[in-house]
Amino acid sequence: MGCSEDEDASGDGKVTLKFWVFGSAGYEQLAEEYMEDHPDVNIEINHSEMNDLHNNLFTSISAGSGAPDITMIEVSAIAKFMEAQDRFYNLYDFGAEDIKDQYLDWKWNMAESPDGSYLIGLPTDIGPTTMFYRTDVFEEAGLPTDPDEVSSMFQTWEDFFEIGKQIKAETGKPIVDGPELLYNALRDQADQQYFNENDELIIEGNSAVKEAYDFTARLIEEGLVGQNELWTPEWGNAMADGSYGVLLAPSWMVANVKENAPDASGKWRITTMPEGAGNWGGSYIAIPKESEHPEEAYAFIEWLVSPENQLTSFKNNGLFPSALPVYEESDFIESTDDYFGGQQVAKIFSEAAEQVKPVYMGKNHAIVQTEIVNALMNVVTKGTDPEAEWDEALTRIKAQLERQ
Amino acid sequence: MNLNTDKNKMKNISIFTARMTEEKKEMVTGYLYISPFFILFTIFGLFPILFSFYLGFQKWNGLTEMEFVGWANFRFVLEDPLFWKSLYNTFIMGLLGTFPQLVVAIVLAFALNSALIKFRNFYRVSYFMPYVTSTVAVAVVFGVIFSEQESGLINVILSWFHLDPVNWTTSEWGVKFAIAAMVFWRWVGYNTIIYLAGLQSIPKELYEAAKIDGATLFQQLRYITVPMLRPFIIFTVFLSTIGAFQLFTEPLIFLGRSYREEGITVVLYLWREAFVNLSFGPASATAILLFFIIIIFSSVNVFLANRIGR
Amino acid sequence: MYRMKKRISTGFVHVLLLSGALLSLFPFYWMFVMATNHNSAINQVPPAFLPGNQTVENFKKVLSNVDFFGSMWNSFVVSTLTTLGVLFLCSLAGFAFAKYKFPGKNILFLFILLTMMVPPQLGLIPQYYIITKLDWLNDLKAVIVPGLIDAFGIFWMRQYISSAIPDELMDAAKIDGCSNFRIYWNIAVPMILPAFSTLAIIKFMYMWNDFLWPLVVLREESVYTIQIAIRSLMDNYVRDYGMILSGTFWATLPLVFIFLFFNKLFIDSLTQGALKS
Repeated sequence: MGCSEDEDASGDGKVTLKFWVFGSAGYEQLAEEYMEDHPDVNIEINHSEMNDLHNNLFTSISAGSGAPDITMIEVSAIAKFMEAQDRFYNLYDFGAEDIKDQYLDWKWNMAESPDGSYLIGLPTDIGPTTMFYRTDVFEEAGLPTDPDEVSSMFQTWEDFFEIGKQIKAETGKPIVDGPELLYNALRDQADQQYFNENDELIIEGNSAVKEAYDFTARLIEEGLVGQNELWTPEWGNAMADGSYGVLLAPSWMVANVKENAPDASGKWRITTMPEGAGNWGGSYIAIPKESEHPEEAYAFIEWLVSPENQLTSFKNNGLFPSALPVYEESDFIESTDDYFGGQQVAKIFSEAAEQVKPVYMGKNHAIVQTEIVNALMNVVTKGTDPEAEWDEALTRIKAQLERQ
Repeated sequence: MNLNTDKNKMKNISIFTARMTEEKKEMVTGYLYISPFFILFTIFGLFPILFSFYLGFQKWNGLTEMEFVGWANFRFVLEDPLFWKSLYNTFIMGLLGTFPQLVVAIVLAFALNSALIKFRNFYRVSYFMPYVTSTVAVAVVFGVIFSEQESGLINVILSWFHLDPVNWTTSEWGVKFAIAAMVFWRWVGYNTIIYLAGLQSIPKELYEAAKIDGATLFQQLRYITVPMLRPFIIFTVFLSTIGAFQLFTEPLIFLGRSYREEGITVVLYLWREAFVNLSFGPASATAILLFFIIIIFSSVNVFLANRIGR
Repeated sequence: MYRMKKRISTGFVHVLLLSGALLSLFPFYWMFVMATNHNSAINQVPPAFLPGNQTVENFKKVLSNVDFFGSMWNSFVVSTLTTLGVLFLCSLAGFAFAKYKFPGKNILFLFILLTMMVPPQLGLIPQYYIITKLDWLNDLKAVIVPGLIDAFGIFWMRQYISSAIPDELMDAAKIDGCSNFRIYWNIAVPMILPAFSTLAIIKFMYMWNDFLWPLVVLREESVYTIQIAIRSLMDNYVRDYGMILSGTFWATLPLVFIFLFFNKLFIDSLTQGALKS
C-alpha cells in the first residue's frame, strides 16, 4: 500500500522498484547502469544487515504490507519463504524457464517448489567449499605444500584423519579450526541431509548426518579439532597466526581470510577437499506479491543475474557466480590471486561448484543445524561424551519440531 | 421530594454542589491528565497484548491460517525442560546481575552525594558512561573480554591467581557470570542516578546530627540513607525484577544465534520460538506465563524490599 | 582518633570509587582502541591495547557504507522529541496520580504497572500491522508516537511528586484560586526538576539506543537511526570490527558530550532541589 503508489504518481510515469539488498553485492552500480538503459525505470536500493532483512521481509509478508518490489533472500532463509510461496510471484510465469539452463542445477532447484512448478527466486552467487591450508604448518609437519600434491594426498576422509594425526604429532596443532566447518563439509557431501521432501526428520539411526557427526567426534577425541567458534575474534586471529592446518571453507571466505590475516599473504593455499565439495551461502532474488510492477521487476532481475553481470559482481565484489557460461570465460577461470601464491583460485572453486550435490534442506534446517553444532561444541570444549550429546540434541530437535 | 422544605434543602444542595464541582473538577482534570497514556496505549499497546493472548491458543507460523489448539501450546511449553532451564537461567542471572548491582548503586550514590569526595564530577560521569553505550559496543567489547581462549583477558587475569581458564560462552556458570557482569556494568549507573535523585529527599540535618553523634560513614549509610531511600529502593527492585525477567539483548548478542541452553533466558526462548522456529503459539503461551511469573516475583520482591532497613 | 577513623574510611571509599571508575571506563577505552586499529590487530589474542593509526581509514569506510550524519540526525530528532513529549505527558499523569482523587485511580495505576510486565518482543507483528495501517512505515512518527507510552515515566513521576510536593502546598494554591493547570505548571514543575532531568537522561538514552522497534518500522536508509545504520555495517560474511567499532565510537562521542552537558544541568537542578527542601 501507500508508499510505492505515492511515488509512482509523483514520478511522471516512471516505474519505481524498491530493492532490498544485504552484504556487499555491488548491485548499486549495476542498478545505475540499468537505469541508464531504461530511463522509465527507477530502482531504489536499500541496504541492511542480512538477518534484519529476512526478519523485516517476514513481518511484511505476515502483516501483508511493507514488502519491497524486489528482495534478496539468502539460501539459509529460502526454504522458510518457500513456505509462503503464494506471497511471491512465480517467476516461471515471466519466462524463467528460458534461462534455467544457464545456471547450476542444484542452485536453481533450491528456490523451486518440490514439484518443480513454482520458482520464487533467481540465483545469484554461491559459496562452493574447498580446502584452505597453511603452507607453513604443512611444512612443519613434513607434508608437501603444492596444491596438486596436497589434493592427491587428501583423497578420502580417512586420509584426512591420518594426516591430522601427523600434523598433531609434528606440530602439536589441530588440523581444523573448530568442529563446525569440518562437520558442514561432511554433511554437504551426503545425498540427504536433515529432512526428506515431506519434511520428516531422517537423521536417526545410521544416517549420513550421524556418520558426519561421528567422524567429527572421532577427530575431536584425537585432539585434532580446534576449539574456535565461528566469527569470534579468536577464530579470526587463528587465521592470522596459523594455529591450525586446514580451513574447510567456501569461496567468500577468501575475503575474510585476507581481512583477518593481511600479513599471512603467501602462506595460504587452496585445493579440493576430500570426496567432493559442498556449498555455504549465496542468495536468490525474489519478487514479493505486493509489487505492482512484477514485469518490470522481473526484466531487471533477469538482467541482474545474467552471466555478464555475475562476472562483474565477481570481479568487483568477489561474489562467486552460479551462471555456468561464466565458468567458460577466460578472464574468470584464469584469474589468479597473489595472496594465495598466484593460484588460479576461481578455477578451483568452479570445479568445486560443479561437484555440489543437489539437496533438499527444508524449512527447519536451521533448528537441526544449531543443535548439532551446539552438541559438537560441547564435545570439543567440555570433553563430554559424543553419544550422550547426540541423544540430547536429538531430543531438543524433536521437541522443537513437534510444536510447529 | 417535598416542596415545603425547599429553602433549607436548596441551601444544603448549593453547598453540596459547590463541593461536588470542586471534586468533579479534580476528577475531570485527573482523567484528562492521564488520558494521553491510555489513548496511546489503547492504540499501540492493548491490541498487541490481546493479540498475544489470543495467539497463545492458536497454532500459527506467521504466514498460513491460524488453527485453534486449546491449551496445547501451554502444555508444550510447560513440558519442555528447556523452558524450565530458561526460567532457572533467568532467575540465576537476575540474582547475580541485579542484587549486587542495587547494593553497589546505593553505596555509589551515597558516596557521590557526600561532600567529602573529591573529583565528584569525574566519578559521576564515569559511572554513568556505560549507560550511553549501545548494545553493539557492549557485545563486541565484552565478547573480547570474556573470550574462551586461555589468552582472553579475564582468563589471563585468572591465571595470575593460578586459576584455570573458564569457557565463558559454553560453561554453565561462565555464561551466567559473563552476562550478569554485562548487565551489572551497563545498569549500575542507571540505578545510581535514581538513588541520587532519591538522596535529595533526605534532609541534610539528619546527617549533620549523625556526624555530631560520631557516626561512621557506614553507620550513616545503614541508619539514615537506606531507610530514607526505601521508596526508591522499592522502585528499583520492582524495575530490576521486571528487567531481569525480560533479559534479552545481552544474551542474544553474547551468545549469537546458538541459543545455548546454558545462557538461554525466557524471553530468548520465546523469541526463538516465534522468529526462528516460527511457532507463534508456544511463543505467546510463554509470554503469558512470563507475565504471571513477573507479577508474582515483583510482588514478592517489593514485599521483601519493603522490609529493608526496618 | 575520630579523624583517623574518618580518614581511613574516606580513603577506603576513594579506592573503591576509583577502581569502580576504571572498570566503568575501561570498555570505552577499548572501544576507542578498536576504532583506531585494523581488524587484524583487534583479532589478535591478546588484542591491541594501544590506539592504532587507522582512525581515519576506519571512519572513511563507515562513511562510504552508511549515511552516518543523516542517521545521527534522525536519532537526535527521535530522541529529543520523544523525551520532551514524555516529560510533559508523564509529569501530568504522575501529578494526577499523586495529587488528585478520582474513581478508579488505584486500579488504573495498577494497570499501568501491569503493562510494564508484558514482554514487548512478541507484540512486534501486531504492532507492525498497526503502523502499516496508519501508513507510518518509514516515518519517524512510527518510533516517536509509540515512544510516548512510558509507564516507567508515570511511575517515576508519581513516586517523586508524592514525596516532593506537600499536600498543604496544593491546598494553599487551591485556596489562592490557582487553576489546576497553573498549579501543575507554576508550582509542581519547578519543584520536580531533579525528577525531570533524571527521566530526561533515561528516556533520551533509551530512545537513542533503542534497536528492535526502529529496525522493524524504519526500513529506508533515509530514516535509519544511528543504531540501525551501525547494525547494517555488520556484513554477514566479512566482519570488519575496526569499521564497526569506529562507527560505534563516533556515534557515542556526541552522546558523551550531551551527557556531560546534561550532567551539569542535572547537578544544578539537584542542588536547586536540595535548597528548596
